[in-house]
Amino acid sequence: MAQVPPLPIGGATGGLPGAGPGQLSVETTVDQERAIAQPGVKADELAGAPELGFWKLAVIRFLHHRVATGALLILGVIVVAAVVVPIITGNLYSIQDYRHPYKAPFQSFQHLLGTDELGQDELARLLRGARVSLMVGILAVVGYLIIGGGLGALAGYYGGWLDNALMRFTDIIISMPFLLVVIAVTAATGGVRLSTVIIVIAATGWFEIGRLMRAQFLVLREQEFVQAARALGASNTRIILRHILPNALAPIIVSATLGVSGIILLEAALGFLGYSIPPPEPSWGNMLQNFEEYLLSDHTYLVIFPATALVITALAINLVGDGIRDALDPRQR
Amino acid sequence: MTFYLVRRVAIGIFLLLLMSAIFFTLTRITPGAPVSVGENPRIHQDQVNRRLHSLGLTDANGNPYSIPESYVRYLGALVHGNLGDSYQYNEPVTTLLMQRLPNSILLLGAALLVALGIGIPLGIYASTHQYSKIDMTTSIVSYIGVSIPSFVLGIYLLLIFAVFLKQSPLHWGFPLFGMHTGGVDDPLDLLIHMVLPVTSLAILQIAIFSRFMRASMLEVLHQDYIRTARAKGLAVERVNYKHALRNAILPIITLVGIAIPQIVNGAIITEGIFSWPGTGQLAFGAVVDRDYPVILGVVMLVAAGTVLFNLIADVLYAVADPRIRY
Repeated sequence: MAQVPPLPIGGATGGLPGAGPGQLSVETTVDQERAIAQPGVKADELAGAPELGFWKLAVIRFLHHRVATGALLILGVIVVAAVVVPIITGNLYSIQDYRHPYKAPFQSFQHLLGTDELGQDELARLLRGARVSLMVGILAVVGYLIIGGGLGALAGYYGGWLDNALMRFTDIIISMPFLLVVIAVTAATGGVRLSTVIIVIAATGWFEIGRLMRAQFLVLREQEFVQAARALGASNTRIILRHILPNALAPIIVSATLGVSGIILLEAALGFLGYSIPPPEPSWGNMLQNFEEYLLSDHTYLVIFPATALVITALAINLVGDGIRDALDPRQR
Repeated sequence: MTFYLVRRVAIGIFLLLLMSAIFFTLTRITPGAPVSVGENPRIHQDQVNRRLHSLGLTDANGNPYSIPESYVRYLGALVHGNLGDSYQYNEPVTTLLMQRLPNSILLLGAALLVALGIGIPLGIYASTHQYSKIDMTTSIVSYIGVSIPSFVLGIYLLLIFAVFLKQSPLHWGFPLFGMHTGGVDDPLDLLIHMVLPVTSLAILQIAIFSRFMRASMLEVLHQDYIRTARAKGLAVERVNYKHALRNAILPIITLVGIAIPQIVNGAIITEGIFSWPGTGQLAFGAVVDRDYPVILGVVMLVAAGTVLFNLIADVLYAVADPRIRY
């Protein structure tokens, strides 16, 4: 859950009102605090321990999580390969080598993973498809964060009609067959372009992060440090952005990470149905579109490669997400 | 309770109306007329107009209805159980849905039963034997299960059982494609055709159910009244299976309510992959052919089913758990 920063005035019991006549009043300054620190402790010794912030500690905890770190490495390799290799190979993915259709994999360096029915290089197509998947995943999650994060924060902070509208929207979305919704909206908004797919996924899938953000804000806005900020005259905008948001981020980051893998799988399903990026461009989904042909003609590698790429990527992202969850919140296990 | 029921039903109907309005508008503003043969010079304009009229898109004079007007007409027909005609099959959508619904219910019901029958015992076992080998294996397998979408799983299953094992004695005769021919008259044939699609639908739910059951059971096992029961000297089994299980299994009811739309969602592609003649396959084909009345009909059916099942789940929960009052 949320990390609540310590109150500005500390001392185990010293600051509590009514703790005794000789004790501190509630209003103390840092200097006073230092002055009445426990005997034998010099003021500066309190700050002597190495200062590791919340995020640094989280990174260290994450790196101690071996599975998650391994998954992050795999994911890194996939991302780098998807970004770099297509730059080198250029439009290799769409070059149709008519003399070598259905070339078996691992036979030559020219087509390391073989070719498909049009003689297009499978490896180049896989990496190009990885680009599509990752791009859709990341951009749509950014959409989730902007729409869901924004509306969730406002709904949680202000309540009222926005809060009601958010909850009703979630009710509607949950009771709909999500895949058909995305398909209908994609079809209605001009069909199969990648930008449409991203926008539609972002516009229909943000409610989970929205609800999470709302729940965070509902809890945090009642906390003392928010009251303190308000008492000091901070504006609502400042309270939302500077005081509540940083404390609400941890579960949002986890949810967003897991969201990426969900979107990649959704995009693949759409591509599989022919509702994502159209054919000359490969995506892991539309590479599986002709799976019946491949299975019947025993060219199983054309099914195995994209399907496995999809599963490995989704699995790696999920593992990283869980690693982040454990790192950000060591209590929840 | 009565008031709660009335309120829930009213909200459900409102949700359905809202959804149908949104979807109806979406399918109407979609580019691509249902009768695009209008551009074919060999077909007379009168024929095109007659077809458009028979599809309920234009009035008797050939003027197209506006979107709100046709939505009201759609709703009016809906009350009479008429969801319009499919562009593809030239048949009423209701007929198509009714033909295929039994098949879907069979498949989805089997998947749900399998998921419950395996997932819940697995979760219970994992929680009572925490950190044992089976617990670890269950966790890992269910983790992978959540990361594989059901359509990829379906393709993998076909790959393994219908292609790779074709020449081996392990080939149990799972067909690569094709529908079950015998129907209910040939249960064995039906069963063989059901194994792979049911597996691919059930794995995800098994993963979800077992994870949830384990967490729920562990939570209950750490409560005071369990310790009290153990302190009284009751046997471990009795405490686990009588005292703890009863409370831990309750939330599963809600989870089943949530699982049903998920299974239906997965079924759209799974039925398409395995050529299972259910509503999912109908939707799969309609999506590929852009047959909007059918898509709309399936969406309405699924949405109504979801609202209904969520209501039933909530009511059942209240019946099962006397602590809950509405």
